[in-house]
Amino acid sequence: MRSEESKFVDHFRNAEEFLKDPEQARWHDRALWFVRQKRDTAAASVPEWEELRRAAETIKAHTLEHLGYYLERFEERAQANGIEVLWAEDAAEFRRLVAEILQRHGASRVVKSKSMLTEECGLNPHLEARGIEVTDTDLGERIVQLAGDRPSHIVLPAIHLRKEQVAEIFSSHLHTDPSNADPSYLTRAAREHLRRKFLEADAAITGVNFALAEEGAFVVCTNEGNADLGTALPDLHIACMGLEKLIPSARDLGVFTRLLARSATGQAITAYTSHFRRPKPGGKLYLILVDDGRSALLQSSRRELLSCIRCGACMNTCPVYRRSGGHSYGTVVPGPIGSALAGTRDPGRYASLPFACSLCASCDLVCPVRIDLHQHLLDERQQTIRVPEYRGKVRGLKAAAFLLRHPRLYRQSIAALRWLLPRLPRSLIYNRFNLWGREREMPSPAPRSFSELYQARQGADNER
Amino acid sequence: MNAKQIILSRLGGHRTPPAEYPRPAIRTRPFDDPVQAFIDALRTAGGEALFVEDTASLDTEIIRAFDDPANIIDTRTPVSPTLETMERCDLAIVEAAFGVAENGAVWIDPAERYPRALLTLARSLAILLPCEAIVPTMHEAYERLDFDELAYGLFMAGPSKTADIEQALVLGAHGAMTLKVFLTPISGQSDFISPKEKQ
Ligand code: SF4
Repeated sequence: MRSEESKFVDHFRNAEEFLKDPEQARWHDRALWFVRQKRDTAAASVPEWEELRRAAETIKAHTLEHLGYYLERFEERAQANGIEVLWAEDAAEFRRLVAEILQRHGASRVVKSKSMLTEECGLNPHLEARGIEVTDTDLGERIVQLAGDRPSHIVLPAIHLRKEQVAEIFSSHLHTDPSNADPSYLTRAAREHLRRKFLEADAAITGVNFALAEEGAFVVCTNEGNADLGTALPDLHIACMGLEKLIPSARDLGVFTRLLARSATGQAITAYTSHFRRPKPGGKLYLILVDDGRSALLQSSRRELLSCIRCGACMNTCPVYRRSGGHSYGTVVPGPIGSALAGTRDPGRYASLPFACSLCASCDLVCPVRIDLHQHLLDERQQTIRVPEYRGKVRGLKAAAFLLRHPRLYRQSIAALRWLLPRLPRSLIYNRFNLWGREREMPSPAPRSFSELYQARQGADNER
Repeated sequence: MNAKQIILSRLGGHRTPPAEYPRPAIRTRPFDDPVQAFIDALRTAGGEALFVEDTASLDTEIIRAFDDPANIIDTRTPVSPTLETMERCDLAIVEAAFGVAENGAVWIDPAERYPRALLTLARSLAILLPCEAIVPTMHEAYERLDFDELAYGLFMAGPSKTADIEQALVLGAHGAMTLKVFLTPISGQSDFISPKEKQ
């Protein structure tokens, strides 16, 4: 099941790393919980919220059911609007297409607004290796780009960094005062720096939040306006989307624009909700439709994961994500949806992710498209438990299952352990075989078991 | 086979046109006072709404609200400013087609009247919106929109903003740092029905 080159991602160990700085970990947990609370307030302010969620689920399911039809329709309409539509089967083809377009237009400086797809496909390193400068223009993404780091959240890419760290990063790259960590000061500095990048750019790359089959148009949502500024200046715009971003028509947008920002940050709508239907006069607009595993996912039992609109709500609410940080997942998309998606790609490499879940199902309740996230994670455990890394766990569970099937043996073992546990030295109890005890203290055994107490009460003196 | 054919063949049975598409209809609750709801939502989004009692005094009020901006670009008549002019622009005056009560957003379509870049390059935006052109929610907003003539258009809710550094909200990430909507009295030209008339 595991491919040879894939390296096992140990979420548990990575989380330990994150928790080494307890103060920062606590801040991370609280900051995201605050976003979750803002989401709750925003959702509660819309009386028809649940109706909207059901509608979003229905629209996405319908579009996926007829995805091929809608894609062809979209292509036809978009081409009629002067948008050049290209298709890429996988990440490699996507990277090649983007590089070719840029080279054909002689573009060497690119401004890019947020797109998880370009992260997924490793676009930046590919372009940089060809002498093309790519500037991520979303502030959070720019921070991690300058730091040589990776986003740890799909909506809040730099949520793992404190303002003092940002001040440090900016002082070495943008020559700001290293002792000034005021967010306004730092944001102004980034604005000046990025404004120059915008003015110099030969091309803009954007993601796509929603593509409209009927209108042959697409929508990009940002708070900073970086997609708008980026695409307004250079004559070349390349928009990149996964196949699943499609919806039938602009008339379905009401549902999604009402859900997206409220779920993501608790805002009623993003500051910029921008609709692109035709290239600028004299400009060129390309749109690349990327499969990269999506068609395979559509044919599988995990199909509904394609409905995700990347709002990040499942991350903000997840007790495990909040306390382990986005980097602990070793994926581009972290958190509950990231774990579920990773399992469909490489269950061996990402075998620890379905277990990075308390099965509390809080993600299911906040997800604006009603994906049964915890159920997917539970199902994936069946598969991923088989990796060699979990042999110990499986043995332990098998032993437990055997004991539970043999009541007499079970009672005898319990009695023996009750006597033994307090007498054994710690090193014999807490060792590498006791996976459960790695992070926990064993409870001190009760003097009498439940059934003993029960029988004593019933006055029964014989076991059946 | 090219990439398109390969992808479509992978989609297999998912290529049939839908027999029907029962678009989910959402029952929205009307606002008692959509104009007030718009004003409140815009404030939450970091913007500000101002009433203009008399259209004749509109220009003076705009100037006053922005502390005497030096470089103004007024798009009420078509303009084609240079990039340098736009970069120096302190205030751009633009018209919005309509606003949305639930979130304080306004619909802006520059069409051929001014360059797209002006909307993000200008330091401040004064947006003119007829009071009666406020729809309750995004559903009604999209019913209004006509995509046939559209090249690029956007809903703008307050100024450009970011909270990427420690979740601290900062206005003016890349685009306009301040955004004020001037609610003008009923112009008589609008095809909007005021919510009161509707009842
Ligand atoms: S799975 Fe749902 S909650 Fe999570 S990012 Fe996607 S849409 Fe948002």
